[in-house]
Amino acid sequence: MSAEEADRKKNRYHFDRHTPDYRHQFEAITAEMHARCPIAWSDTYGGHWVAAGAREVFELARSAEYLSNDHDVNNERRGYKGITIPTPESMIRGGFLEMDPPEQRHYRQAVNPYLSPAAVAGWIPVTAELVRACLDEKIETGRIDFVDDLANVVPAVLTLAMMGIPMKHWTIYCEPVHAAVYTPPDSPGMDRVRDRQIEMYKDMFGQLMAIKENPRPGLIDALARALINGRTPPDLELLGVMTLIIAGGFDTTTALTAHALEWLGEHPDQRKRLSRERETLLDPATEEFLRFYTPAPGDGRTIAADCEIAGQQFKEGERLWLSWAMANRDPEVFPDPNQVDLARTGNRHHSFGLGIHRCIGSNVARMVFKQMVAAVLDRMPDYRCDPASAVHYETIGVIQGMQHLPAAFTPGARLGAGLDETIEAMQRICDDQRLAEPVTARKARADIAR
Amino acid sequence: MKVHVDPERCQGHTLCAMIAPKMFELDDIDGHSSPVDENVPADQEARVRQAVRSCPEQAISVSGDPA
Repeated sequence: MSAEEADRKKNRYHFDRHTPDYRHQFEAITAEMHARCPIAWSDTYGGHWVAAGAREVFELARSAEYLSNDHDVNNERRGYKGITIPTPESMIRGGFLEMDPPEQRHYRQAVNPYLSPAAVAGWIPVTAELVRACLDEKIETGRIDFVDDLANVVPAVLTLAMMGIPMKHWTIYCEPVHAAVYTPPDSPGMDRVRDRQIEMYKDMFGQLMAIKENPRPGLIDALARALINGRTPPDLELLGVMTLIIAGGFDTTTALTAHALEWLGEHPDQRKRLSRERETLLDPATEEFLRFYTPAPGDGRTIAADCEIAGQQFKEGERLWLSWAMANRDPEVFPDPNQVDLARTGNRHHSFGLGIHRCIGSNVARMVFKQMVAAVLDRMPDYRCDPASAVHYETIGVIQGMQHLPAAFTPGARLGAGLDETIEAMQRICDDQRLAEPVTARKARADIAR
Repeated sequence: MKVHVDPERCQGHTLCAMIAPKMFELDDIDGHSSPVDENVPADQEARVRQAVRSCPEQAISVSGDPA
């Protein structure tokens, strides 16, 4: 290494976010990097930069002209490796999150009218019904697993409904999407996950073909009709975009909800306060749980041109990890960063990313999370989680998630039909009222009066 | 006090409209924000300042304020 090179990489940190140690030592590692090297060079995974400081992450994430998200799977451009470090085996591009403008912008323009705050508001009554049914399945027993019985279910069913996939197919999608994240790649459980993934991709491809043939409203229809740089994208590229929407819509919201319910169970006074003051407190509390638990802890980038950003010189082709999770604990921006403050103000957290790639499902995530949490506060106000049976993801390199969160509560009375019957009823409403149309075609909220 | 949202910086995080719903409106199609009125009434100033501090993209600014 030349002297110049050594000087450029003088701030070094052995950063391996895929180890259990990173999860267990997260606060200590984060504090050390903030104090010593808010941008560091790490030799792990072929060598890459890590941005941990809030100011550094902010400046980098918003420098779209010097950063590329491109995943050039066929090596047709500059061979960039997309947003995952290390590069996964999959040869499917991860949708528009692994693209640069103008293609990225064209895709977002196609799907924005389905995911904007106005579009998402139309789905509130359906979401509330799905939440009600999930809780009704368990309310008489006094026991629930907040992950398996609630937080896995509602985001999955709703995401499929918005895409135009039959809601009852959620059972095909739910397990492989979550298990692909929490199952270690070389473990025996991975064979089952791969089998379930094949089943899921078969269904996805079938849905895409069916909707191309006979259009029905939803995100898939928007993708099938989209002109990206003046061309209709190949099916494989569209499957990548559908995978992005599914992966983005499922495990992240599940992770946020599970962690928030776990924390509220451990802090019954705060839970009471949130329930009592929810009209003013649920919004800032949601942002605080987003900040503190950062379900998607970061994104990779490739430096697209030599540049200096936040005082650091970068060379074209170098890889960079933007840590939303560590930036969210920077005391320069967030006083007492390792404390949950439900009423925190000035909470400009990074949990949905920054810049042109801001999480396009952020409005859905917030709405679904709030519906689930508020309903639990109403119907299971005294729940107690069982810490011995709660299962956190062993590593937090991809998603900071939970696999199980069992809880007990004082049993209550059912309010309506069970989940399967409710999904059928919501599907009829979805079809009859064309709920999955974009906001440009349909603005009214779902009418679920029975 | 006047408020300005830089449309080049705003990415539709929607926090401003959550904090000061009377002062910011969100585009139906992409959720990007713009001020309902650039002149901020006195009773909205605190909320608008909080929105400035909360914007992840630092897209909101205020001016003409002696305080």
